[in-house]
Amino acid sequence: MKTQEEIYLKVSSTLVEALNVDEDEIEPSSTLQGDLGAESIDFLDIVFRLEREFNIKIPRGELFPESIFQGDPEFVENGKITDKGLNELETKMPFADLSTFKKSREVSSIGDLFTVEMITKYIQGKLAAK
Amino acid sequence: MRLKDQVAIVTGGSRGIGKGIVQAFAQEGAKVALVFKGSQAAADALVAEATAAGGTVKAYQCDVTKGEDAQAVVDAVEKDWGPINILVNNAGIIRDGLFVRMEPADWNAVIDTNLNGTFNFCRAVAFAMARQRKGRIINVSSIAADHTNPGQTNYAASKGAINAFTRALATELASRGVTVNAIAPGFIATDMSEAVRNKAGDIITKMIPMKRLGQPDDIAKVAVFLASADAAYITGQVIKVDGGLSLGAVAV
Repeated sequence: MKTQEEIYLKVSSTLVEALNVDEDEIEPSSTLQGDLGAESIDFLDIVFRLEREFNIKIPRGELFPESIFQGDPEFVENGKITDKGLNELETKMPFADLSTFKKSREVSSIGDLFTVEMITKYIQGKLAAK
Repeated sequence: MRLKDQVAIVTGGSRGIGKGIVQAFAQEGAKVALVFKGSQAAADALVAEATAAGGTVKAYQCDVTKGEDAQAVVDAVEKDWGPINILVNNAGIIRDGLFVRMEPADWNAVIDTNLNGTFNFCRAVAFAMARQRKGRIINVSSIAADHTNPGQTNYAASKGAINAFTRALATELASRGVTVNAIAPGFIATDMSEAVRNKAGDIITKMIPMKRLGQPDDIAKVAVFLASADAAYITGQVIKVDGGLSLGAVAV
């Protein structure tokens, strides 16, 4: 069983390769889009690399459910996530830290949930369930 | 040599414009995978000719309309020479006819080869190019996308779609150092345009401000440029190479 530290280091090195960034740019709280400059094709690349690196399967939309709320009025109202949407998010992303997001609820800041720490926690859960 | 040791795939490479691109790429030092469908003899002859001239060219048989076959060719080329640097989607057909009499088979054949064939090969190389942060995709379009004649609804639609596809794919791959551009030839002296040229006669050369048909090499030189390091900052563009035909000038 890998420790959280070991997983974090492997996730970091995966991101170094996928995003062409320096290792010292990466911190647990770094957001993939805002801090590390990831674009949509990069998310795909990250998923493929993580699958290979940790020998796991990552179903589409499980790690980065970026479009779960797209145009669904039940989940989004005036650009903000509803209570129902928040529940959905908690169910779908138990590995994400929603504390900051809960304050603003802005759909546009959903990308800030995707941090290095979030990936690490997700992988940890995947490996534990293996 | 501007393409030294670059691995290139050219579909529809045995004849016409494709042949010109294969020859030019080989002269510039690229390792060229010539993809052909039916013209085995022409492909073999071109391989022999280019090899004798000191180039590295190999022929791969493939129906571009079949996605799995396209992937198999890409895998085979990678196995032979390593990662693909350049893809030229040139395979194209015409099935001209007035729309009211156009059979679905003629519509589908043109869309399948020209548009879906381009999709199939792009799909087979795009992610690998994105990962290596380097790549050139060049789609051969036609000025018929914008300046069309009766009898070419299928062809014009396929080429117009290629232009839109080129721009859209360029936006997805730009951050990864992969450029996607198209070349839109005018009237080029090839087998494919022969029937039209025979029918229209010298009215065509009169319509072209430069008063001559294009040669495959006129297109190939632009393909070499787009494939080279010189074109690193150009993406999502459709470059007309037509001797001024699309300017729509009327000779006085």
